[in-house]
Formats: sequence, C-alpha cells, structure tokens
Amino acid sequence: MSSHVPSVSRPSSWPSSIVFVGIALVLAALPLAAGAGNYFLGLLISALILAGISLAWALLGNLGGMVSFGHAAFFGVGSYASALLSAKLGLPVLLSVPLAGVIAVGASLLMIPALRLSGPYFALAILAYSQIFRILATELSWLTGGAAGFQAIPQLPTVLGLDLASRSGSYVLLVVVVALCALVYALVRRSLVGTALRAIADSEDATRVVGVNSMLLKAWMLALSAFITGVFGALNAHIIGFLEPDYAFSGVWSVLPIIAAIFGGYRTTFGPIGGAVIIYLFDQVVAKSIIAVGHQILLGFLLAAMILLAPNGLLGLAERFLKGRRDAEA
Amino acid sequence: MIELVLQAIFSGILVGSVYALVALGLAIAFGTMRIINLAHGELVLLAAYTAYFVETNTGLNPYAAIPLALVLVGGLSAVLFLMINRIREHRELNSLILTFAVGIIITNAILLAFASDVRTTTSPLLQDAVSIGPLFAMNGEVVAFAVSLLLMGGLWWWLKGSWYGQAVRAVSSNRDAARLMGINPVRTEYVAFIAAGVLASVAGVALYTMSVVQPSIGHAFTVKAFIVTVLAGVGSIPGVFLGAILLGVTEALTVTLASSALQELAGMALFLLVLFFLPTGLFGARARRG
Repeated sequence: MSSHVPSVSRPSSWPSSIVFVGIALVLAALPLAAGAGNYFLGLLISALILAGISLAWALLGNLGGMVSFGHAAFFGVGSYASALLSAKLGLPVLLSVPLAGVIAVGASLLMIPALRLSGPYFALAILAYSQIFRILATELSWLTGGAAGFQAIPQLPTVLGLDLASRSGSYVLLVVVVALCALVYALVRRSLVGTALRAIADSEDATRVVGVNSMLLKAWMLALSAFITGVFGALNAHIIGFLEPDYAFSGVWSVLPIIAAIFGGYRTTFGPIGGAVIIYLFDQVVAKSIIAVGHQILLGFLLAAMILLAPNGLLGLAERFLKGRRDAEA
Repeated sequence: MIELVLQAIFSGILVGSVYALVALGLAIAFGTMRIINLAHGELVLLAAYTAYFVETNTGLNPYAAIPLALVLVGGLSAVLFLMINRIREHRELNSLILTFAVGIIITNAILLAFASDVRTTTSPLLQDAVSIGPLFAMNGEVVAFAVSLLLMGGLWWWLKGSWYGQAVRAVSSNRDAARLMGINPVRTEYVAFIAAGVLASVAGVALYTMSVVQPSIGHAFTVKAFIVTVLAGVGSIPGVFLGAILLGVTEALTVTLASSALQELAGMALFLLVLFFLPTGLFGARARRG
C-alpha cells in the first residue's frame, strides 16, 4: 500500500467527521445520562486524561513525523508547574492550568536541538530528556518536595454553578478540553501547515527546496503537543491532589499514549481518543482482573498485534472497510 | 580521594566492557537493517534471568546457563526479526513501536515469572573480592570483563573472516551493492539479528554475575547501548568498546563523586552533549541526521 497518495489528499471529508463528532458527543453524554457511579466516572476521567496525551502524541507522530518516547516529560512538567503555581503562588487554578501548558512548551524549547535528529535518534533523545526532568524533580526537593511528594494541591474550582472538583464536574470539564484539543488538531491538519507537514513526511528535502521551513514547523508541532500534554498533566494534578516525581514523570505517561494512539489509529483525529478510552478501561477493568501484577503484558501483545495486522489502527480498519463498501457500490 | 577516583575508573572499565557487548548487539542489527531494536535491553535481561533460573534450580555456576540463554534469546531474536520483516508501511516508525511492544511483553513476562525482586548471583566464587594493586573488584567483574573481551575478539574475527560476517559488513555499508554482488540482504539481516541475540545472551549472563538485575531495568540497557553507539558512531568494534568504557567510567565517577541518584542523569547528559555537539560520534562515523 502506497503511503503518499492518500496522505496528500485531504485526510477525511467533512460529513464523515460530523458523524464522528455526533457519535463521540452521544458517547460522552451517556455515562452522565445513565447516572454512572463515582468509580466508573473516575475511570473515565483517567481515560480522558490519557486521551488528551494520546492526541498530543499522535499530533507529533502524524503531523510532525516524530515518535516520542518522552511525553512523560511534558506531563510531569505540566503537573508540577500548575501545582506549584496554584499552591505556592496562590494563582487561581483556571489560570495555572493553561500556564502549566506554557511552561511545558518552555520545556519543549529545550528539546528543539533534537528536532534535527531523525527517527530513533529523536525518539531516544526525547526519552533522555524525560529521564532528566524526572531526576531534576526528585533532586530539586526545596521546590517540588522531592521523592516525598507534594501534597495539598488546590482542587478545581466551581464555575457557573458546576463543581469541577466533583466527579461529574471533572468529567464534563475533561470532555470539553479533549474536544477542544481534537478541534485544534483537526484545524491544524486541514490548514496549510498540515499540508506542508504531510509533504515533509513524504520528503523533507524536497519540501525544504520549495521554501518550507521544516524545522520551524516541526518545532511548532512539538510545542503544541507539549502544551496539550502539559495541560492534561496539570488537570490530573488538581484532580488527584498529590504528586511525586516517580508518578508524575512515570514512563506510563509515555507508554500508554503510544499504545492508545496506535490502537485507535494515530493518523486520525478520533482514533487516539477512542483508543485511549478502550485501552485504559481494558487495562484497568479486564487486564488487571486477569493478571494483577504484570497486566501490561496484554497491552504489549495488543500493540504488537496492531502493528503487524492493522498498523493504521481500529479507525484505519473501519475506514478501509467503509471505503471498500463504497467502492463496491460504485 | 585519588584512590576512590581510581577505583571508580577501574570499576567503570569493567562494567563498560559488558555495555560494549550490549551495544554491539544493538549496532549490528541497526547496521544491516537500519532499525533500532528497542527490545534489545529486554533480550539481555531475559538472558540474565535465564542465568538466575539455572543457578537457583541446579546450583551450577551462572555461566552454565549460556547454552540455554543462547537458545532462548537467540530464538526470540530470530522471531523478532521475522516479525519486523513483515512490516511493509512506515518501516522505521512501526519497527520502533513493534520492538517497543516486544520489550513490554518480555519485561512483564519476567515480572510474572520471577517477581519484581532484585536478583544477583549467589556463587561465592564470583562474589569473592580480588585485589589488583590498590584496586578491588569482584571475581565476577573480572570474569565478565575477560568474557566480554573474548567475545568481542570472536565477533571481530567473524566479521572479518567468515562469509556471513563479510556479508553483514557489506549490507551495512551498501545494501544495493551487496545485493549486486550476490548477497541476499534479507538473509544477512536475519543472521545479524541472531548474532545480536548471541551477544545479548552472553552480556545478560555476565551482567547477572557482576551486578544486580530486576524486571524493570531492561529498557535502561537499551538506552545505555544506544548512548554507546551514539558516542562511538556505529563504525567499529574498538570505537564501541571505547564508547562503552567512557559510559561506564562516567557512571561510576558520578556515583563516587556525586550521588547514585545521578548515575543515569550523567549517561543521559553525556548522550545529549555528544548528540548535539559531536553529531558523528567521538570517533567519527556516518551521519545520523534526517
């Protein structure tokens, strides 16, 4: 299957995206309408946080053509930034969360030299960065509380009568933020920038020759990806109320988004979100009950199977299926 | 103070020799197939746990586990190659993720089989101290150093002298030209992966006898191996050996002069510095920029 013919055309047509948006909204409203309990809402909240990081990872992977094994760095920086800004400087949480995204962008600026590197070199350079940030968070204990952790992180506030700190309030907030990020992702993809980025993925040299500053575009994607991940790290910190370096910078925040995005289809907008919800619920509800310790082995098998059998993910499979039927009808 | 520094350099050289084996395995697969095997560290870890398994169940010296490790790890490496070889689209990216997934599988399989406890050899012979002038080492470290040097010599001889070794070098330097000379590049890549499995087997057993292992450290070996290949440039065995020793000594000095919490940080910092300021490695090699 040739990779560049479909990638230059528009990713997907509007009507099918509207159908997806509709389905997604109905699915999102369902737990509230069905009066889901706090335990289940809590699982969904974590799944949506994962969905946000997966979306950010897919944005970098799909548009920037870069595999990151270090998104935990942005997640951890975002968590600590928002926790510190709100707890130590007394900033309102709704201000500290986007600021945490900005600070995560600051962390991504340090990684700009790595953008010159190709493929595995970039992947491992960014992994090195995330390890460095984790060690820094542990060592700078006067600021972060070190390995002992950081407690008393302010909760999310009440806005327009909706208590965001409650389970259903947090859930609604996360649905809105994930939807906003998906919208931004879709808009970037459809813009000229998206077209240029797909051209870079096909041939970086040829794109440079026609006057596209590929480094700058990649840097923008890295920054956007870092911002989104930082914001979700911040939201998670305020929802959980407790941070420690080994949790905030845990490899899980790098690993699960990759699995989720690949599973759902990282070249689509909704794939990473759906993938994250399915993967997280599968891991926590099914896998953990089968194998208490080492349950990630099932995720490993799933990921390997996806790459070998359906490298474009579930949505890629669905698209191929639909397209096949349309072709058959025509 | 001087003695402490000398001791750290000495220990760093000993452990660096095993890092070199791990890195050569990564490099030989990368050289032919242009693919970073992110499960390589986990293959090393699997060999280390094979040694643990054999030692606890038979009471034999851990080195007696090498044949079993060769079968297990070499076989798994071959399976890994067959899986990677099935990937058609976006090969570089998908192979990274596939090998990453296999790494997760191996790590968790080891966790399931052997629990998350820290393991090391119980052989008194390997744990005894030996003094060389003012410097001290465990017998295990000295033996691992010697085994590593032997295997590196063997690899060098294989790459220079044997038909498949020469094929591996030919495919690494120019795949198309090698094909025109009648070398089957896919079969050569297969051979290179099995050779990487052999290196990982011995490296894992050696690491078990000289240091401690636990299920979560597999990917740290991959990262270390990658750091070494970046330091060395993928070029040559002596280059990789020197790069590995540099990493080992840097880590050991960091532990002695600063703190053990910073050990990994030192390796990472070294890695990023070389990546950005000496992009062809300390000893010069091919470019790695896109």
